[in-house]
Amino acid sequence: MTSDEALDRLVAAARSARPGGVRVREWSVHVAESRRASIGTQDAHTGGPHSPLGIAEALSARWHLVWEDGRVVSSDLDRTAIEEGLGEAIERARAAAREDPDAAQVAPPARMPDVSLLDSAAARMAAGDLAPLAGRLRAIRDRLASHGFRTWSGSFHATHTTARIVTSSGLDASSESTLAGWHATFDGELGNGHVARAQDGDAEFEVRLDRLADLAARLRLPAPPGGARSRLAVLHPAVVRSLVFGTLLHNLDGAAVAHGESRFPAKAFGSRMPVFPEGLSLRVEPLEPLKAGSYRFTLEGVPAAPTTFVDRGRLVTPVLGLKYARRLGGRPTGIPVASDALRLSGPPAIALEEALESAPGGTLVLAVLGVHTQDRASGDFSLSAPQALAIAGGSARGRLRVTMSGNVFEVLADDALRLVRFPGEDVPGLRIRCAVENR
Amino acid sequence: MIERLEALDGLGAEIAARAARAGVLAVWRTQLRSVRRVVVRAGRTEESTSAVFSGHGVQVRTAEGRMALASRDGLDPLPALRLLDRAADATRSGESLGVASSADADLPVVVARSVPSGLEAFEETEAPAVAARLAEIEREVAAAAPGVRLRLTWVSDLDAWRVLRSDGTDVLYAMPRAVLRAAATTDGDGSRHSIGASVAGPDPRLAWNERLAGLFLRRAVAAARLARELPDALVHPAGCPPLVIDYTLAKGLAHEAFGHAAEADGFRSSVLARDGRYRTGERVGADRVSIVDEPIPGDHAWQPYGPNGLVRERAAIVDRGALADALADPWSAAASGVAARGSERAESYRSAPLPRMSNIRIEVADPLPAPGSFEDYGAAELRDLLSAAGVFRRHAAVSWLSGYTGGQVNTATGDFVFHCKAIRRITRDGDVLHRPAIFSGSMFGALAAIREAFGPLALDAIGTCGKWGQNVPSSGGSHFFLVLDPDPSFRLGGS
Repeated sequence: MTSDEALDRLVAAARSARPGGVRVREWSVHVAESRRASIGTQDAHTGGPHSPLGIAEALSARWHLVWEDGRVVSSDLDRTAIEEGLGEAIERARAAAREDPDAAQVAPPARMPDVSLLDSAAARMAAGDLAPLAGRLRAIRDRLASHGFRTWSGSFHATHTTARIVTSSGLDASSESTLAGWHATFDGELGNGHVARAQDGDAEFEVRLDRLADLAARLRLPAPPGGARSRLAVLHPAVVRSLVFGTLLHNLDGAAVAHGESRFPAKAFGSRMPVFPEGLSLRVEPLEPLKAGSYRFTLEGVPAAPTTFVDRGRLVTPVLGLKYARRLGGRPTGIPVASDALRLSGPPAIALEEALESAPGGTLVLAVLGVHTQDRASGDFSLSAPQALAIAGGSARGRLRVTMSGNVFEVLADDALRLVRFPGEDVPGLRIRCAVENR
Repeated sequence: MIERLEALDGLGAEIAARAARAGVLAVWRTQLRSVRRVVVRAGRTEESTSAVFSGHGVQVRTAEGRMALASRDGLDPLPALRLLDRAADATRSGESLGVASSADADLPVVVARSVPSGLEAFEETEAPAVAARLAEIEREVAAAAPGVRLRLTWVSDLDAWRVLRSDGTDVLYAMPRAVLRAAATTDGDGSRHSIGASVAGPDPRLAWNERLAGLFLRRAVAAARLARELPDALVHPAGCPPLVIDYTLAKGLAHEAFGHAAEADGFRSSVLARDGRYRTGERVGADRVSIVDEPIPGDHAWQPYGPNGLVRERAAIVDRGALADALADPWSAAASGVAARGSERAESYRSAPLPRMSNIRIEVADPLPAPGSFEDYGAAELRDLLSAAGVFRRHAAVSWLSGYTGGQVNTATGDFVFHCKAIRRITRDGDVLHRPAIFSGSMFGALAAIREAFGPLALDAIGTCGKWGQNVPSSGGSHFFLVLDPDPSFRLGGS
């Protein structure tokens, strides 16, 4: 069964459904078919039993049905359910239907943006040709030996996906995309990598790997006496992604806003009252070629579009799909599916060297433990950073173990805030002021 | 659902024949999983979704020790059989990638079946009835603790596996799970805090179960009251105070700190291993303290067999203060110098099984009594326990960390963190609520600092473990409360 055949079956089932005499008034069907290849390394053992060379095929489908009495239901269906006939799935969909007027809609026809999402080399890898990875695996093993690391773990993967959405209102759109990425961690301490619609180039890969190895090596150096002596900390982009973007996106989520689970009430969006410092902006740019965060349309069939969530300190819109756009009286927005599509701007931007010069006695925070345990609604954070470097004399070297605490929103409002350009990173680092305690 | 797996009976012989022709050992995993979810907010059903997954994954090991895993969704035997050929082909490309040989494993042949009764309830429980029941409970919580926004969630998850190996192993098992969760968020224009509560069981009708529904109500009301109080709470000063942790945080300490470090796939970098081998026999805690991982029937993380077809066994990771059993699978056991105990788990047929925990607990010999149920204990009742045990003769004040909200560990360094819902600083004379702060430090220091334990074992602290991107249910606990004397190796965050 091809994905188009699967889609035809689902559409036919939706059109002909009549459980208990009730018809489907509107429907939306999304089908995706993918191939994926991957190989992992665990404790320096590449392709071992816990991270074997893997090849996978998958077909997935989701339908959203609006019954003629206005009740709605959404279900994920697998190949088996589709192949064996959808009668039972229809009966279940009817039994599970709920009253939810804001969800009783499907996407209308729309012109989907042209955005480059497909890379032929990544597609070949996804089909199982992993030979191009041999040189990269060798390069990692070389760094392991040359820096004297004990072990490394990591993975390489590539996925090739075709997707199509059809709705009862006449929308019929498709997309073909790839995703390729890698990640490596030395000595179980510090990791980094890259993910996009295409692999990073060989030269870019080598440089990124060298930066990672250099930072991991610096962690082995002793810290200066006294440890951290300043409340200034420079957050690596990896920390910004998880802590700062994670907090902001939780509070910008349309469902969280609508249900009072966000720091921001619905009335704050569109208001002239700034909730962040003047100048701070956050937007998503999902149309840039070959970025992981780029896409053509959402699972609901909403076209990708650049969207500004925060404009010069003022809240513009939450992140909205169809349901919460209707609930909150807005329009569906672009979705931040990966951090390389997010743009944080406004605070003065400085180079990493300048950031280190400006924070003597401070801490370069490379990784934190416990971000997922924080209370996103309050913005309060209290984190452990066992992978941190002491800043002295304009450079970062010597391991610190610190705990950091504060509040993300207060950090973003502080006049010490700077965007910090880290070479090779899509996301900026941040220089912030917060409580830093030596452990 | 189980019948679908039973219908694959003929597949085992076919797999064995094909694997023999290809000269490989094959481990065939078939999974059928049905997950449903209902979310109610302010009396309205905001979400009612269902998802069905099924598929095959075949992991092969060649005579040279190379491995590959091929997977495909669907249950058709024919395309599934082709997976074996694809996996065998894939192993050949491993040489150019520098794939190392995997050690041979001792794989006992097991033919068994473990399917709990009552699975028909997963078919019979209708989402609209669940939604109506959640709305009832929500009204009760809101009446008892007004001033918060509530979100109530029901999840049912029936996860069934059949594992066939080309050596004759054939294991079929089903893991029924259901969870009720509440999230309470402070209402109004001030600062907002979200607090969660949950109960779990193997029956999707748990919202109608008098005991579990009553327990859920008590926990949800407590969460709602805490969410209301936290905006006015103080920030706890950073430092190393004497601590009391409840059993949910003790589960976090056991899981994040010792459990992950005892997983044998990471022994080249784990602090509990040296030169790739478990440090069996070395002392890491007091004689009275043990850490045990064990599947418990009816538990959220119960698993009777591992996805390589071995029986899942009890593992005493720390036995009366000394390292004893690691969490090892057949592929990692020999190299780690430990026994394979079927300790592996996989999220899906697409995933390679990894050594993982099931239900993990900290046990202390001769705990002090704490009568009643855990939910009976507020700050005043806990103060009475501590006072009677003489804790206030050692410490003028203790900081009580309540409610585990998650954690993380670096197994290479032994650094752990975990977070709580709230902190109460308790003295002989009273208590003061503080906002949560990170508890972090050295796992060895924390375990060695345990002094008193109060109450029986409570093992229903649930969570989700996300090792290597594979999410599997976790659970565990300890005695109601553990007292940790101050030690410079761990600290409480704050400012």
